[in-house]
Amino acid sequence: MIDNLILGFSTAFTAENLLWCFIGVLLGTVIGLMPGLGSTTGVAILIPLTLTLEPVTALIMLAGIYYGAQYGGTITSVLISTPGEAASVVTTLDGYQMAKNGKAGSALAISAIGSFVAAIISLALLMALAPPLADLALNFGPVENLAIMILGLIIVVSFAGGALSRGLMMAAAGLLISTVGVATGFSDARFTFGNINLLGGIPFIEVMIGLFAIGEVLHQIRMGADAPIRTRFRDMVISRSELKRSAGPILRGSGIGFVLGILPGAGSTLASFMAYGIEKRVSPRKAMFGKGAIEGVAAPESANNAAANANFVPTLALGIPGGGTTAVLLGAFTIYGLQPGPRLFETQPTLIWGLLVSFFIGNVMLLVLNLPLAPVFAQMLRIPYGYLYPIILLTSFVGAYSVSNNMFSVLLVLVFGIIGWIMKELDLPMAPLVLGLVLGPLFEKALVQTSALGQGSFLILLQSPISVVVLLFAVALMVGPKIAARVAVRRSPRTARTPITHDEREDAR
Amino acid sequence: MKSRTPLAAAGLAAVSLFALTACSGSAEPAADGAPSGNVTMVVPMGAGGGSDQSGRAIASGLEEGTGLNISVENREGGSGAVGYSYFLSQNGKSNYLLASETALLALPVTQDVEFTYEDFTPIMKLGDDYTLLVVAPDAPYETCSDVVDAAKDERVVAAVSGATSLDEIVFTLVESDQDVEFDRVPFESGSEVLTALLGGQIDVASLNPSEVIAQLEAGDLKALCAFSEERYEYDALSEIPTAKEQGIDVAFAQYRGFIAPGGITEDQTQYWIEAGQAYEKSDAYSEYIESNYLQANAVYGDEFSEYLAGNTADLEVVFAE
Repeated sequence: MIDNLILGFSTAFTAENLLWCFIGVLLGTVIGLMPGLGSTTGVAILIPLTLTLEPVTALIMLAGIYYGAQYGGTITSVLISTPGEAASVVTTLDGYQMAKNGKAGSALAISAIGSFVAAIISLALLMALAPPLADLALNFGPVENLAIMILGLIIVVSFAGGALSRGLMMAAAGLLISTVGVATGFSDARFTFGNINLLGGIPFIEVMIGLFAIGEVLHQIRMGADAPIRTRFRDMVISRSELKRSAGPILRGSGIGFVLGILPGAGSTLASFMAYGIEKRVSPRKAMFGKGAIEGVAAPESANNAAANANFVPTLALGIPGGGTTAVLLGAFTIYGLQPGPRLFETQPTLIWGLLVSFFIGNVMLLVLNLPLAPVFAQMLRIPYGYLYPIILLTSFVGAYSVSNNMFSVLLVLVFGIIGWIMKELDLPMAPLVLGLVLGPLFEKALVQTSALGQGSFLILLQSPISVVVLLFAVALMVGPKIAARVAVRRSPRTARTPITHDEREDAR
Repeated sequence: MKSRTPLAAAGLAAVSLFALTACSGSAEPAADGAPSGNVTMVVPMGAGGGSDQSGRAIASGLEEGTGLNISVENREGGSGAVGYSYFLSQNGKSNYLLASETALLALPVTQDVEFTYEDFTPIMKLGDDYTLLVVAPDAPYETCSDVVDAAKDERVVAAVSGATSLDEIVFTLVESDQDVEFDRVPFESGSEVLTALLGGQIDVASLNPSEVIAQLEAGDLKALCAFSEERYEYDALSEIPTAKEQGIDVAFAQYRGFIAPGGITEDQTQYWIEAGQAYEKSDAYSEYIESNYLQANAVYGDEFSEYLAGNTADLEVVFAE
């Protein structure tokens, strides 16, 4: 272990590798900022440029883009409610509210700090335990995945918060949208109306850009442009009490993110949603969620970063990509003449440990880069809306087109922009819709697979110990708070009653 | 750096600049049939996948041989349908090429699309990507015939990576050749199938050599037979018998190649075929074939068309059910 670390440091600490690591994380931050241009596309486009570099240097840079994008995706979520990456969607819930309250600087700082802590924790686990963890993750087959998806959908309920029926309605709408196209295991097209552009389904990125960016701009225009938020520079810096409140959420978020990140398929988007949902359950300040709670930024941001790193567990230890970007990175391995697979740790120790140590270095760079820049980025909110909106619209449409070089994407963005605007007018929550859209295909796939494995019977769900535990956890999430409240009422009716009435007052809004 | 805007704009410019650097080089004066101006290689799939890799490899190989500028354009969507439809609208333009694979044949058979391979001009098939039948190392099978025999009286769970994917086609062909039935569990990619096989959730899978070579070498999986016409020549794969040797008359490959739009002249077709033949002799070609463990059976023009016709007939049988 120590030998490996020394090997890693001696590889990563050359001037050339440090330089490319920095270029990678910087490019990643920029790519994460731009709606539509996710890290998967960014890495794929840049691979040919790295062919002249040493394989380890090239991979250090490409990986830098990947985790750098996790930091960058947050900035626009907080400032203009437009997530740069799917995993940052939840951050908009409280991050944007914080920005409206003049706390954009704190929101950006805590997401940088949370991302950093999560990265360090998950990297330590990755280095120490990657091969055994990867073997453990293989136990999660379709049946166990289905249990996790059920848990994910139940967490939607906690998102609904103020208005359960609205949340459920939007989650159902998201699931419905996700059924467009050809389903797993079948070749029949559903709801495509003969349009070949819809055969592959309604792409997530276009929906996200439309709902969040365009919807928000339309909404703000109709509201008659507020004056830009004015705050003093001092207020842009994170306070000590905010830091203290965020410690728990960051640690819990890191744990949730790491566990979900190891499992092939679940991914960082689900991790960020789950971390937010769970935080909302356990937080003493749950009433503040959705109104600019710093915990609501810290938890999902830590989770998506931990998941992004944990994704490397199956990627490096088994040669099986944990997500889209790691799949592209594995493709890059073969281009450099390396064979990804279970023996990579033995055959390429210099490369693997150099790469892992570079993750540490890259995350330190990102923290140093993002922390002082947080108040600077937050200054952007001082730009009058008249200049800001055209820029948001331009980057949104260009971003949408660049996803697939197809005008149909631009049309989709426009349609979902109008839907997003209507949803805002009617005060319908967007996050459950996004979660429904993300989980829909995964849920359906796991459902079809489980049904096939069980020869049509879902009793198979109860035959796997892992899925039983996950399902029990889901049940506990549903009934736990109610039972706890009853017990508390019985024990001391007067004091325990207070937070509940407080919640109910929030619910009534 | 006060706002996000200059940064984002600079990033966008930088990224597009990087994308453009792929097409440096100089356009030579056109010989007979040579396209004028820049050439576009359409990839009907997203960046990073197998089609993208082959499209980029072919583009840079042809660029080297012809001195033309060939830029790669990803037009993804609809499992390839969007890219092929776009290509259909480039009819008659010989400065467009498309990195093609078996989706060109599967889409017209299974979906309501407006093209078949006959609407395009097939130029070159680079090689064939067959599949190997793989199982866990402790599985009670030593040959593909063992698997078929087992399937006759017990449940054998086979994973397939899609309803029109290569492994689905291969399993269906085995079923009709041997009169057995496998239980299917559908997945969405080869790596998902691999995960389930390693995790013991399924019994057998039929995967491309490049997808399982590392697991075979590490002893995490064993290969029972190859669904190919001939045995592989690669050292790591040469011991694997073909299914035909074991009495199962099934060989089906996913091809990799490139096509030009329909309605181009004889000279233009000939130009691209010759460019392909020059590419076949280059190191870049053998490097691509070897790193992806393909069988290098290059064919051109009319011969490629015949191959596509034969495969379409097979697919129509498979998807007739």
